[in-house]
Formats: sequence, structure tokens, C-alpha cells
Amino acid sequence: MTTFALRRLGQNRPILLAYGGALALFAVTSAFSPGFASANHIRILLIQASFVALVALGQSFVILGGGIDLSVPWTLNGSAILMTLFADGQNRPLVWVIPLLVALGGLIGLVNGLGITALGVSPIIMTLGMNVILSGGLLVYTNGSPTAAAPAFVETLATGRVGPVPYNTLIWLALASLATVVLTWTAFGRHLYALGTNRMVAQFSGIAVSRVTVVTYVISGMTAAFAGILLTGYVGQAYLGMGDPYLFASVAAVAIGGASILGGSGHYLGTIAGALILTVLAGLLPILNLNTASLQVIYGVVILATVALATLPGRLAVTR
Amino acid sequence: MSMQAGTESVSELDLPPVAAPGSAGRGPRLTGGRLVARAAPLAVPWLMLAALIAAYSSLQEGVLSREQLNLWTAATLTLLLVAAGQTIVILLGGIDLSVGGIVSLSTALAATQLGTGGSRLIGWAALIALLGFAAGAVNGFLVARLRLQPFIVTLATWSIWSGVALWVLPTEGGTVPESYLSWVNREALGIGAPVAVLLALVAFWIWFKRTPLGTGIRAIGSSENSAYLSGVPTSLTVTAAYALSGLFAALAGLFLVTQTASGSPTVGNDFILNSVAAVVIGGTSLFGGRGGLGGTIAGAFVLTVIGDLIFALDISSFWTPITTGVLLILAVLANSLTELYARRRARR
Repeated sequence: MTTFALRRLGQNRPILLAYGGALALFAVTSAFSPGFASANHIRILLIQASFVALVALGQSFVILGGGIDLSVPWTLNGSAILMTLFADGQNRPLVWVIPLLVALGGLIGLVNGLGITALGVSPIIMTLGMNVILSGGLLVYTNGSPTAAAPAFVETLATGRVGPVPYNTLIWLALASLATVVLTWTAFGRHLYALGTNRMVAQFSGIAVSRVTVVTYVISGMTAAFAGILLTGYVGQAYLGMGDPYLFASVAAVAIGGASILGGSGHYLGTIAGALILTVLAGLLPILNLNTASLQVIYGVVILATVALATLPGRLAVTR
Repeated sequence: MSMQAGTESVSELDLPPVAAPGSAGRGPRLTGGRLVARAAPLAVPWLMLAALIAAYSSLQEGVLSREQLNLWTAATLTLLLVAAGQTIVILLGGIDLSVGGIVSLSTALAATQLGTGGSRLIGWAALIALLGFAAGAVNGFLVARLRLQPFIVTLATWSIWSGVALWVLPTEGGTVPESYLSWVNREALGIGAPVAVLLALVAFWIWFKRTPLGTGIRAIGSSENSAYLSGVPTSLTVTAAYALSGLFAALAGLFLVTQTASGSPTVGNDFILNSVAAVVIGGTSLFGGRGGLGGTIAGAFVLTVIGDLIFALDISSFWTPITTGVLLILAVLANSLTELYARRRARR
């Protein structure tokens, strides 16, 4: 089993390529920008990358299973806003607020997953609908006005550090290890790959395809909610619309990481490299005198290019 | 204990879609099941619209008037134009998320480039429409020739065009020349310009659905393989369908600026879900092949009237997106159930 798992990782040349790309991009940027490679700046980059990477963790699971989660922006935004409202700037309530919000994110994922599996609504429609419902719900709940500042503990969690390593990075590392173990060495991971490769074959092999699908959306809801809490700590407050960039960014990170957007192949380790590349790119923009609008263009181009490159060799043969 | 299914991607063979069971050998004879399946999609949205208008007129005076028709049409036309394009793509069995970016870009360009009027205005308006068409054609090319998934292609181009819109117009604003705004207020025989555009759209559809392109889109939506085998130029048809969707999205943006008198780099995002909702509430099947603009018109008006109803009932307008989202998911459910029913009946 171990050899199988290692073989799967070794076969994923795109993942190695993604890490190579991340390193090369980092080296080039550092050459043009003094201080880019300083320990302090690397810490900032790691923290910034972690938000995309956390949202993309759940997105990786969903995409591996052949789905997509378009509801991450407002799941993230919702948990960010509710956290500031519930905690009201105090540390003490966080004991129940953080678990509650992560569970709430999981509940959103559960509803998505059940809508997709039990009711047969397509993932795009279900999660797009969920996103809009959540955005409306939050506007109703907050009456469209901004909320309190982030509690000090969340800020520490997002920006503080132990020795040279930010807490944020440690949390990310722990969750990344967990995701890697689940994908590589558990039955659930194998079932997920089987499901993403061919749903029908997976079903006939006795895999509980519906249950596996639902779990991926639950994970995605939970990671988006958790990322929302950490991001609020980093920014200092929650605001409406803060989750919007994370839809494209999470899908782009998964795509760059070498996962097939049709499911069945890829790994979270690749997604991490994808998130790093996107973060370094974002850092590169001001150096090139480009604004954040360019980032959206880059996300789009990167998604298209990686998907096209991954599918092109096989597709060109089919000419119609 | 190894599961090889994970490593060898079976789906990469990309087998062509197999015709739906029961679709082969179906004659022109209208059986009960087919009649229901054919009439229900159109009847449901229009009855729903009628019920909503009835509910609204019990709260508000003078609903069944020409003024109200003009008002509602002006409020619905932007969505309807986007949804018209979305109808074409969904009939094909695809989906177009990039309309969000294209509408935004179109309003951003309109609010910055139309200038003060004259030939510059006409030139740029035409250019914006052309740009929408070209952007759609790129989607179509990627879907048809490279055989990429429509949702990922249009997700990516949605991001790209949103970025370009933000680059053209970083924040809401800009100006639209008075001479351009005024055409919306023109009336003839009590019919406002938006109603005239709506009538033109209906006329276009009656013509379009019988053209080779129109029938080809429907054929591909029913079964791409059968369409290909019966001589439909599939690549060209798919590219043209997405190009039309891009064109309609750009036209929607050009109309939207007459309502807001300014541009917005993010306004298009609201129209992605709403356009899909209008199409699906209108009874067009997300599986492709079934439906049309007739239902979409009702679907788009349903969304407008619901918004007004929420306002009339003194409920926070923030409830509108929630209602739309729930309605969309319910409509998709109802849609798949009728689809299932029709297939069962046809199989018997």
C-alpha cells in the first residue's frame, strides 16, 4: 500500500513541475526585488499563501471527486463576519465561536453535497445558488453594515509566530499533513480518486460514491470557514466581499498544482505549490507596476493554460 | 491491496455521449408523455408569472397598465438579454459563467469610451458589441476545438474579463453621454424603447430557432454524437452559440448603462446566477436540447416581479438574492423531475 501511495506521488510529474515553477518564480522575483527573499518577507508570503491554500484544500478534495465548489467566497465571508459579531472583539467567546463556525461551514457543505447527490442538482448550480443565498442571508443578518474588529487572539493566530515560524504556517502545515495522509494512505482517499476517475466504475466497485462526494463538500465548507476566521485575523476586520477573490484563486491553485479539473488525478501537495505560485505572482505585480486587476486576469489565464496543457495532447487527435 | 482505478484515468478516453435511452426511433407522433413534457416547461413559468402579477396587483394600484409594462420591461431587459444568450448555451448543454465578466467590461467600456456622442459613440457601441461576440467566440473555440469543460473555460474567462473591466474602470463611475441615455426614453404608440427591444428579441428568436444554427444547437443539446452523425457542423455551431452569448451579454451591458448612467467593473457578477435562474425557471433543461426563449422571458420577468413584490411587502431587499437562489434550485429539481417523467413515459 505504501509503495502504491508513493508511486502515485512519483507519477505526478505536474506536482514536481509546480514546485519547480514556484521556486523559479521566487528566485526571479527576488533577483529583481531586494528584500523579497528576506526572512520577514518570506513569512509574510507564507501567511498570505496559507489563506488561498486553506480554501484550496477543500476545493482540491471537491475537484478530485469530479465536482466544484463555487460557494467558497461567501462561506468564507460568512464565517469571518459571524466570528467578529459573535466574539465582539473578545477572546473568551472564541472557545465556542471557532468550532461553531467551522461546523457551520461543514453544514453548508453538507447541504451542497446532499443537494448534489440526493437531489441530483449539478454542482455548479447547487454551489452557485448556495453562494448567492449565503450572500443574501448575510446582508439580511448584518443589514449591510460592517462589523466589529477581530479579537486579539485571532490576530495572534494569523500573524504571530513561535521562533521563526508563524503560528499560521504551523496550522497550515498540520492541516496539509492531515490532507496528505487522508489522500494518500486512507480508504477514503482511494475511494475519492476512484470516484473522480469514473463515477460509475467506482459505484459498481462498491464505493459509497454519494457519501464520499458529500464529505468532500463538507471538507470544503469547513476549510473555507476556517480560512475566513484566520483571514479576518490577518486583515484585522471582516468586510462584505472579502471572500470574492478566493473562488478563482482556489480553483487556480488546484489547477496549477496539476490536478485534473475533471477529477481523479492530482494531490493537495500540488495545490500547495499552486498557492505559493499565486502568492509570489501577487507579490511580483507591484514590482512590474501592475495593479490587482491584473491578478484576476492572471488567475483566468493560468486556469485556462493549465487545463488546456493537461488535456491538449489527448484532445488534438480528436478533430471535428 | 491496490486500486488501480485511481491512477489510470479511464475518462481520458472521452467517449462520445451516448444517445439517451428511448430517444432512438421516436417518431413525430405526440404521445401523452411527450405532450406533457413539451407543454409543461412553457406553461409553468408563465402561470407562475401570472400568479405573481396577480399577487402584486392585490397590493399595488394600476399594475395592469402600459406604464407598468414599460417599467417592468426596462427593469428586466438587461437580465433578459444576458439570459437570451444563456438560453442558447444551455440549450446546447453548456453553461456560460463568463457573462459576468463580459457585462462588467461592457459597462466599464461604455462609461469611459462613449465620449460625447456622434460617430465616436456609434463606433464604440459597435466595438463593444463586437468585443462581446469575440469573447464568446473564444469560449466557444476552447469548448468546441480543445474540448475543454464549459464551466472551467467560462470560469477562467469570467476572471479574465472581470480583471480587464477593473483595469478599464477601477471603481464604479464614469459617464454616459446624454444623447446615448435619451434613446431609452423614446416612446412610440405608448410603447417604450425597452419594449421595442423585447419585441425585436422575440422576432429574432422566432427566426433564429428555425435557422440551421438554431436547430443545430438543439440537436447538439439532445445528443452531440447524433447531431454530428447527421451532418451538423458541431464545432462551428458550438463556437457560434457561445459567440452569441457573448454578444448578448455585451448588449446587456450597453443597455444597463442607460439605466444606471454609469459603469461598474463588478456589476456583471449579479447576472451569472440570475441569467441561469431565468433560463431554468423558464423551463429550459440544463441537460440541453429542451426549452427556448419563450420560457426564459417569463423566467426573467418572474425574478423582476419577485423583487418588486418583496419591496411592496416591505421586506428587506436583501431577501431578493435568497429567493432567487432557492427558486433556482427548486426549478432545477422540478426540471429534472419532468425530464425523468418524460423519459419514463417515452420508454414505455
